[in-house]
Amino acid sequence: MAVDKRNINPSHLALAYSYLQRFMPIGAEQLSGLIPYCEFREFRKKEIIVDEGEIDNYLNMVIKGLVRKYIKVKGNDKILQLATEGHVVHSEISFLTRSPSLVILQTLEPTVLVSLSFQKMEEALDKFPHGERLGRLILTNMYIKKDERRYTWMAKSVRERFLDYLTHHPHMLQRIPQKYLASYLNIKPETFSRLKHLSKTKG
Amino acid sequence: MESQKYFHKYLTKFIDLSDEEFNRYLMPVTKVRKFNKKDLLTKAGEVENFFNFICNGLVRKYYKKYNEEINTQISSEGHIIHSQESFHSRTPSEYYIEAIEPTTVVSITFEDLESLFLHSKKMEHLGRLIITYSLVIKDRWQIQLVKMSPRERFLNFVTKNPDMMQRVPQKYLASYLNIKPETFSRFKHLLRSHIKSIPV
Repeated sequence: MAVDKRNINPSHLALAYSYLQRFMPIGAEQLSGLIPYCEFREFRKKEIIVDEGEIDNYLNMVIKGLVRKYIKVKGNDKILQLATEGHVVHSEISFLTRSPSLVILQTLEPTVLVSLSFQKMEEALDKFPHGERLGRLILTNMYIKKDERRYTWMAKSVRERFLDYLTHHPHMLQRIPQKYLASYLNIKPETFSRLKHLSKTKG
Repeated sequence: MESQKYFHKYLTKFIDLSDEEFNRYLMPVTKVRKFNKKDLLTKAGEVENFFNFICNGLVRKYYKKYNEEINTQISSEGHIIHSQESFHSRTPSEYYIEAIEPTTVVSITFEDLESLFLHSKKMEHLGRLIITYSLVIKDRWQIQLVKMSPRERFLNFVTKNPDMMQRVPQKYLASYLNIKPETFSRFKHLLRSHIKSIPV
């Protein structure tokens, strides 16, 4: 992992601004005040960002790449989140309560993250003029996402979950190994293959 | 007044908030609402307009899957309940929220809450802390559902919330814990021997 604070890739910076602007209408000039608190971190494919038992010290947004968050249940990996460009991903409970992480974060592609350490976040909330508001809006959005996902898990059938996901994320079937998608959607791998085949024949 | 005082006390778990501040910022926007048993606080299909803090009573949140009601939250006094996704995203609620017992809540509308955040950095800070806390609870629940067996979920819940077994109809609890009603009954028998074996 490389930390590069001073020599930030301009395209990464531009992406960071545009993703943050989705949460709050705010100019790049104002947002640049947040950058001194941030780190741009690069990871190779399959690198562990946070391991089980570690305290997660970062709040991350994906600039480029793909991260999976998963939990080990009796030897099986259960995927809780697949985060791509513009998504916020970290071990929430661990980060916010400063306790050992129950979940594991791993890259599935070479990945660039823009990250705030816990300490820098506290400073930014205090000193960056829009910190509290931006922080609240990001958290609110995470909360909505989590609620939606819970609803999907509980209220929708396997088939509905499959079709919904592929309608909203058509490119993910190319980006992610099928077994990960099946785990994320809580669908058995065999069922996933069958549904994929069915959806193809229907065009 | 009593209800607002209780809400004030709850908020001081997150930040220092003087009587003067509470009276200035929150008193004008809080509204005490009372509900009878079985009354709906929120209906599916409507946009949730309230943030609610329960002062007394018992409330459940559920959605309908075909003809079945799936309970996703059961909360008593001292907790927050509303259809968050609908409230924050201003889209129709997927959930119903219903009083299980006669209930009193302190409520704030979306509009009032937004203007509160806009006008006071301290209130915005408080808002962030509450939503952070809610997110942690939601995350813990998600992990629990994925990681624990029905039996573990049952024991964990009744150990932490012994009073709920008396207050909440069993079918709601079973649904909330995602345990089949028959299995739930069976676990209840387990409980008698289990409790005896736990040192107090």
